[in-house]
Amino acid sequence: MESLSHAFKERSVHALKDETLQVALHRAKDGFAVKRAKAVEGLPEFDALRDRAVAIKNHTLEHLDHYLERYADAVERSGGTVHWASSAEDARRIVVDICRAADAKMITKGKSMVGEEVGVNGALEEAGFEVVETDLGEYIIQLAHEPPSHIIVPAVHKTRGQIADLFHENHAKYGLTRKLSEVPEMVNEARQVLRSKYLAADVGITGANFLIAETGTSVIVTNEGNGDLTCSLPRVHIVTAGIEKVVPTAEDASTLLRLLARSATGQDMTTYTTFSTGPKREGDPDGPEEYHVVLIDNGRSTMLADQFREMLRCIRCGACMNHCPVYGAIGGHAYGWVYPGPMGSVLTPLSVGLKEAGNLPNACTLNGHCAEVCPVRIPLPDLLRTLRHREYQLKLGLKPLRWGLAAWVWFTAHPRIYRIGTRVQARMLALLAGRKGRFTRMPLAGGWFKGGRDLPAPQGETFMAVWKRRQKDSAR
Amino acid sequence: MSDRDTVLGAIRRGLGRGPLGSDARAALDRRQGATDSDPLLPGLPHGPLAQIFRAGLEKVAGTMSEIASLDAVPEAVAGYLAGHGVALEAAVAPSLGALDWSAAGISASIGSTRGDDLTGISLAWRGVAENGSLVLLSGPENPTSLNFLPDHHLVVLRSDDLVPYPEHVWSALRERGEKGWPRTVNVITGPSRTADIELTIQLGAHGPRSLHVLLVD
Repeated sequence: MESLSHAFKERSVHALKDETLQVALHRAKDGFAVKRAKAVEGLPEFDALRDRAVAIKNHTLEHLDHYLERYADAVERSGGTVHWASSAEDARRIVVDICRAADAKMITKGKSMVGEEVGVNGALEEAGFEVVETDLGEYIIQLAHEPPSHIIVPAVHKTRGQIADLFHENHAKYGLTRKLSEVPEMVNEARQVLRSKYLAADVGITGANFLIAETGTSVIVTNEGNGDLTCSLPRVHIVTAGIEKVVPTAEDASTLLRLLARSATGQDMTTYTTFSTGPKREGDPDGPEEYHVVLIDNGRSTMLADQFREMLRCIRCGACMNHCPVYGAIGGHAYGWVYPGPMGSVLTPLSVGLKEAGNLPNACTLNGHCAEVCPVRIPLPDLLRTLRHREYQLKLGLKPLRWGLAAWVWFTAHPRIYRIGTRVQARMLALLAGRKGRFTRMPLAGGWFKGGRDLPAPQGETFMAVWKRRQKDSAR
Repeated sequence: MSDRDTVLGAIRRGLGRGPLGSDARAALDRRQGATDSDPLLPGLPHGPLAQIFRAGLEKVAGTMSEIASLDAVPEAVAGYLAGHGVALEAAVAPSLGALDWSAAGISASIGSTRGDDLTGISLAWRGVAENGSLVLLSGPENPTSLNFLPDHHLVVLRSDDLVPYPEHVWSALRERGEKGWPRTVNVITGPSRTADIELTIQLGAHGPRSLHVLLVD
């Protein structure tokens, strides 16, 4: 997918003014946080399981080459084929080639974030295939020609009215012309339309939540059953998965599964957890004749080398964005790439470069809530801070900001001058603010005061001065 | 260099080391997962497994009835369908094909479905008490399509096949030896659902709208 992250500022201002979006975001934020908290409360072992999850992921990443080889050998033994893609371009080419070789016309897809990352849909459509997303949320945004705005609920930014319009516009060709208004009838209509697609599809493409090295199995979790129909009805099943998805055994997957749904939607367990191993066996009445796995690196191996290895523990639950005040205010599209929120602000600059996405690590209040809820304890604020540091070192940020920082660094390295400076400043600002003790406007800082926000003024003394005075008083 | 070697080479560069020796690899292969040496499994409520299983299933909008013997299954299915105003027709897994369906007034087609059957009846391999999940294995006797295409999914589970945790399922699959894992293992926890429109939960997204378990003693 092409990045629009360079336009983050414009896009977030736009998002803040979008009233429909604000309604949708408000609903999502409260919904998810409350449900997660309840689910976690119901599992006293949750924190201990998080420690296990961290250990499993760290162990696997430390021996990633071994587990991938073991996984690939097991897939081949079960009659499947493994393809290795270094880049997004490789991944697209491999998927298109498999579909061509299968002489496919229609392709159904289950939700795959790595599929979005490498741009599978665009490549397939360009090659002339009909591609249909089957996850209801993905289907809605496909009709709207939009990228996902959340990794778990891709159409969370859409209201029921907007979805009704989309269905009305796009379903007439199937003879479905009634304008709908209620959620159940919309879900039913999508079910009806997509049912015919499942049955007609030649190839089904899904992602993978986990790959099990011991057995060569790919695992998907869904609530709708769409991914499961996608991987069992068509003649060919293709799995697209990042190389970090592998875990040693099914027991390890179970530990992670206890955390995944609770962190994502607040469910104890998603409705369907489907384990696929190879193509259909002799005598099986259904299942695909071919089973392909595309293992995608696309920058992940580079992340192994430094502190960003921690990011490879991510199991894509979305808890970080569900608890992020910035995401909650602007939604996913403002971030401009596949992955939004805190995890996206780490991944996007690593993927598309700091020059393109340098704003994302700065759009963070460092409140630490994301790290608190992360099921695999990724220190997201630390990683974001490192990216800010890199951006500064590469001289990429806004010039006034860098000059300001440089000036501040100089002052803090000269404490005596710093103290005199702050003393003068505190007094001046207190005088300027007058009796109110607050500013309601200030030159060069118009943005702060938008929407009636004010700024408390200093009270005339610096902290150091107050401290000294108190020390003296108490010595007396 | 093959694509495989290219990706593995990049990973080893990232890890800052060469390929692992065969001893190290053999040691890693002996590791049996997070729980083999020091299990960390969530505590379960007290009581019989069937009771814990039922609580999990009902939490996700599934239902269950307990039946004395396998022979009584067709009768119970007929009762369930009649109670829900559904026609007495069903696609039935071959593993349950020997039961006397016609005696209960059910017109059964034995085998997989292409989506034109309102009701599907399957046999579960295991039931997991922890979350009220059913485990179904694909195979000639158990078509996967029955689990997803019908509106009503009825699943027969023998009470002897109830286990506390999914970990028990994985070790049982390991014990199958040569046969190992079938093409598809479906772990099913409740009927199909979506919350993709305004986060409103709606049952029956793409899969079954209702899930009913027949627990056979």
